[in-house]
Amino acid sequence: MCKRQSVISREKTTSDDGLPVGEDRWRAVLEEKSARAVARARRADRVAGFTFKVAAAACLVVLAFIVGMILARGLGTAVKPSFLLGKPRVMGEGGGIGPMVFSSLYLTLVTTLILTPLGVGAGLYLAEYSRGKRLVGLLRWASESLSSISSVVFGIFGMVFFVIYLRLGYSILAGALTLALMNLPTVMRVTEEAVRAVPASYREASLSLGASRWETTKRVVFPAALPGIITGVILTMGRVMGESAALVYTVGVIVRKPPFSPLQPGAPMAAHIWYLYTEGGIVPDWMRIASGEAAALLVLVLLMNLFARVIASKIRKKMGIIG
Amino acid sequence: MISVVALFLMVFFLIRESLPAWKESGVANVFTSEWNPDRGRYGILIFLVGTLSVSVGALFIGTPLAIATAVYLHAYAGPSWKRVIGRGIEVLAGIPSIILGWLGFTTLVPLFRRVAGGTGMGILPSSVVLAVMIIPTVASIARDSLDAVPDTYAEASLSMGATRWQTLRRVVIPAAWPGIAMAVILGLGRALGETMAVAMVIGPATAFPRDLLTPTHTLTTKIMMEMGESTGVHRSSLFAMALILLFLSMLLIWLVRWLSNRATRDMSKGSYFC
Repeated sequence: MCKRQSVISREKTTSDDGLPVGEDRWRAVLEEKSARAVARARRADRVAGFTFKVAAAACLVVLAFIVGMILARGLGTAVKPSFLLGKPRVMGEGGGIGPMVFSSLYLTLVTTLILTPLGVGAGLYLAEYSRGKRLVGLLRWASESLSSISSVVFGIFGMVFFVIYLRLGYSILAGALTLALMNLPTVMRVTEEAVRAVPASYREASLSLGASRWETTKRVVFPAALPGIITGVILTMGRVMGESAALVYTVGVIVRKPPFSPLQPGAPMAAHIWYLYTEGGIVPDWMRIASGEAAALLVLVLLMNLFARVIASKIRKKMGIIG
Repeated sequence: MISVVALFLMVFFLIRESLPAWKESGVANVFTSEWNPDRGRYGILIFLVGTLSVSVGALFIGTPLAIATAVYLHAYAGPSWKRVIGRGIEVLAGIPSIILGWLGFTTLVPLFRRVAGGTGMGILPSSVVLAVMIIPTVASIARDSLDAVPDTYAEASLSMGATRWQTLRRVVIPAAWPGIAMAVILGLGRALGETMAVAMVIGPATAFPRDLLTPTHTLTTKIMMEMGESTGVHRSSLFAMALILLFLSMLLIWLVRWLSNRATRDMSKGSYFC
């Protein structure tokens, strides 16, 4: 573009604005205009690209800030065995969070045991067997609605239904059932996606060998979808571990001894942080305890995330290209 | 099937528990602004306003950032940055809300207190914390819908000499528009229902917020904080609030469904740019 302009401007007859007069003028004007438009578009393109880059970088910075701050403030407290394993004090400084750590892990385990068969089963059904369109529509509608509901609403529903109506009391089991309901749509969706990602040729090969539908699902489709399902379940476990609003009124917020039976009340770490925040000041060093607990919880959740990825890539490698 | 049963059970129990509130104080009185359990007044308007303003604030802060990130991931990032930022967003999504709340309480609130005086709690810190929470939701769904636009669209535009930004603005983003709208609505849904992160930085106080830094309450935080110590009509008013919250979030889901149905219909008719 620029080159051509310079050719034009070398012509003898030019007006005040440097453009030729006469027959060529209209073309020169247009060319200059379009050159300007192109330059403007290029500038806008650069600005836009830069803006998007900054936004993406900002997200990373925010993440780094969150993780860094939480760890910087709490890790020093959290790594001491007397804190991680110790018992909380009723009053006075120096209490630990041992029973809370235990409650969190126990609750996550029980929830996963309830949730996985239900979620995976429902996901398999939706992906492989669902024919009746109306029923599937209803199922999808229900699970989408469930997944949109606030966790505190799940919490008070768990309170009236599991804790009071079914007489489970504040207990690990009541919390686990509540969380299982809450995360059911996620596990269903993950399973369904993983199953749908299995190539149709796998199914056809199995069916053409005379295998029944169920045999095909069990021996071919399910194993092929397993990596995706396992990753999804572990990621859900991470979410379960960090949940608090649904648990304050179903499991409890403070215990002195680890709850060994699922029918005993517990105090998951996240709910205990909430207890410290609301009833803070009962122990003078509640800020220190909460910071340490937040750091420990964050480390646990991040480990879960990492674990999910490692497992996924391991299985994927083992099974070749599948998944 | 369980999810269907569970949904109906939930609605049933919430209605049952909240019935006294609707009966005793009357449906019209529920939507007034006076909340005073001692005098038997249970108007929830304050909390409704709190929830809406906090969520809208979060959208204002979070959405531009999230969509810009999605566009960057879709159109500009190289493979390694794509992986790094994609992972980062996934990790951000996994951070428990109580931790974000705690961080807001220990860093944002003191900051706002020093800058603006007062308690440093209220709508602004809540919106910031919520914005961080909705960024992963909005960014990943928006990115998916951008990626779902056929590459041929962008290629056609680029081959005509359009710059990348022109292509995005005139072709790719309009084509992905229903998906992006869905992302924002789902983000809004997440913000409406979030409890713990907001509860730690909102105040709390049962009063309309005068500005962005006065303590107030949202539906979720009010339920959270008073459920343990309430009885009778007071308690069932909290259940009524939960019921309203539930219908709000289901309304959003229906909106999303309607949008996605419309999008697929438009797509099949090929009338995207008309």
